[in-house]
Amino acid sequence: MTFLHWIGETIREQLLHIPMWVARWLFIGLLLVLMGWVVQLPVAAVTPPGRRSQWYEDLRIWAWLALMFQIVIYSVF
Amino acid sequence: MSIHLGPVDYLVIVSYLCATMVIGLWVGSYVRSGSDFFLAGRSLPWWAIGMSLVATDIGGTDLVGVGGDTYRYGLVMGNFEWIGCVPAMLVAGFVFIPHLWRCNVTTIPEYLERRFSSSLRTVVAACWLLLMACNLGVMLLASAKFMHTLAQWDMSVSIVVTALLVGIYTWSGGLRAVVFTDVLQGVVMIAGCLMVLVLGIYEMGGFEPFVDKVHDAVHARRQREKESRPLEEFAENGGIERTRESRSDRKSNHFSLVQPVDSPSPGPWPAILFGLALVVSPGYWIGNQSIVQRSLGAKSEYEAKASYVYGALLKTLIPFMVAIPGLIALVKFPELGHGEADRALPMLVGYLLGEGWRGLFVAAFLAALMSSVDSYLNSATTIYVNDFYRKFYRPHADEGLLLAIGRWTTIGFVLWAVYFAFQLMVVPAGLYTIFQTMMSFIVGPTLGVILLGMLSSRNNAEGALIGFIGGVFTSIGLFLLNQDFVADWLNIEPLFRIGQAYLYYSIWAFIATILLAWLFSYFGKPDAPEKRRYSISEWKPFEEAAP
Repeated sequence: MTFLHWIGETIREQLLHIPMWVARWLFIGLLLVLMGWVVQLPVAAVTPPGRRSQWYEDLRIWAWLALMFQIVIYSVF
Repeated sequence: MSIHLGPVDYLVIVSYLCATMVIGLWVGSYVRSGSDFFLAGRSLPWWAIGMSLVATDIGGTDLVGVGGDTYRYGLVMGNFEWIGCVPAMLVAGFVFIPHLWRCNVTTIPEYLERRFSSSLRTVVAACWLLLMACNLGVMLLASAKFMHTLAQWDMSVSIVVTALLVGIYTWSGGLRAVVFTDVLQGVVMIAGCLMVLVLGIYEMGGFEPFVDKVHDAVHARRQREKESRPLEEFAENGGIERTRESRSDRKSNHFSLVQPVDSPSPGPWPAILFGLALVVSPGYWIGNQSIVQRSLGAKSEYEAKASYVYGALLKTLIPFMVAIPGLIALVKFPELGHGEADRALPMLVGYLLGEGWRGLFVAAFLAALMSSVDSYLNSATTIYVNDFYRKFYRPHADEGLLLAIGRWTTIGFVLWAVYFAFQLMVVPAGLYTIFQTMMSFIVGPTLGVILLGMLSSRNNAEGALIGFIGGVFTSIGLFLLNQDFVADWLNIEPLFRIGQAYLYYSIWAFIATILLAWLFSYFGKPDAPEKRRYSISEWKPFEEAAP
């Protein structure tokens, strides 16, 4: 076994100890963190500049929706 | 089994191809300059870019290949469109793409020169140009093979006709033609796949009976495998199949997106989460010129952001249309083995669809193929003209000359792609696989230098160059150490336990790039202020930066 094999095997054995439900929550957690990040984006960064924007032009809504779909999908499957 | 196409099918296919050509040539009639050709005069709307992003990302081979892989491994393949796209697209759309748009660059390597150095630009451009040039041939050949399986079309004719059609409208209209034909191609692709999905689920008697039937089909397949193989072989797969076999509820992992570490599928969860979601996908959506270029052609920074958000929403639907049909095929044709799984989707189409509708599916396949080939063709041309021709040969070339050179280069790449596809037909299959793996060699290092350049002003040009080269060599080294012939020669075991370890190459290449770049930057001098101002934290528009 080479040094590289040893590194890989060590990491693999550590990962094997992680229960599958924790792995699933890591996926969902990543999406939740992104949802939180999207919500706190400044209005100026998510709406058209130089004019009063409509509610549907706020990109946070659609980004949040895309992430919500992902969370549902990773919760179900 | 192939799809039998009748006269009505051919009418549908020819109508689709004619519509594509009309749109491409009509849009091309408005192209007047190099800027129009490479960035569509920065006039593209968000909805066209968003659809184009999705259409480009799904190649013709993906359409059939994902169906086949879902037949083999289950819904885990959906990860490549869901967590393997959506998070990265949103972060790219809100952070990185707007910055590239503000910097007013035409290519990613051009940004790397402004932020770091000319050497890094040339090395990165050369790597991507090589990848794109090879990929053009690979895509043409792979799709011709599928068309041969799908409809018994002659492979040589498929290669030449596809290259010719794509070449004509890309030659004429550049990025604008690519994006607007992608919109049509995206609609046709989605319609064709949606039709198979809806009819397939209806055939199954609804979604819940369909789920039960999939579990039963997997259970039956496992029983057959168990009867035909000694028990020791199950243990070689980490005992995964034995573990599942002991479950009394007959439910399989075929609907599970999160697969165990030693899963025989291409998507064990660490590879998906750490390799795909955190490295390959961001590298693809931020660093791949053929993807990013259309957003650089957006009419405003807001439209560039909106295009990525819209694309992310569309991406949510894609696995239902390209992966679920693979599971429907598993129920209808459970007798296919792993080796024949790529026939699953064509068989399903032949079974479910009548004349005319089969033509629509073939048109959807052609749409997926053409939308990818045209993007790579246009982006390869853009990199060659901007990062080599204009940089080294004619720095002061006017817009008219750049347009002419762009069009001639497009012709050159079309000829090259056809030649390379024919060459690939006669090389051993292993070499063909290498070209398909090439993306994983450079996507991690590209992401590494872009992140370091944008997010930190402390990293310098020498560090970035050494980091990029070190990252590429890391991934190539890992790839070689995972090949049986190298392992046998060195008398060691292959490095990774899964067959398709390209996600792992990318992780380690990314880590090597970051570490090397940081180390050499830490001990080296910081870049000059005019370089550092291209990082996000020190960004100054041109007028503010002028003395």
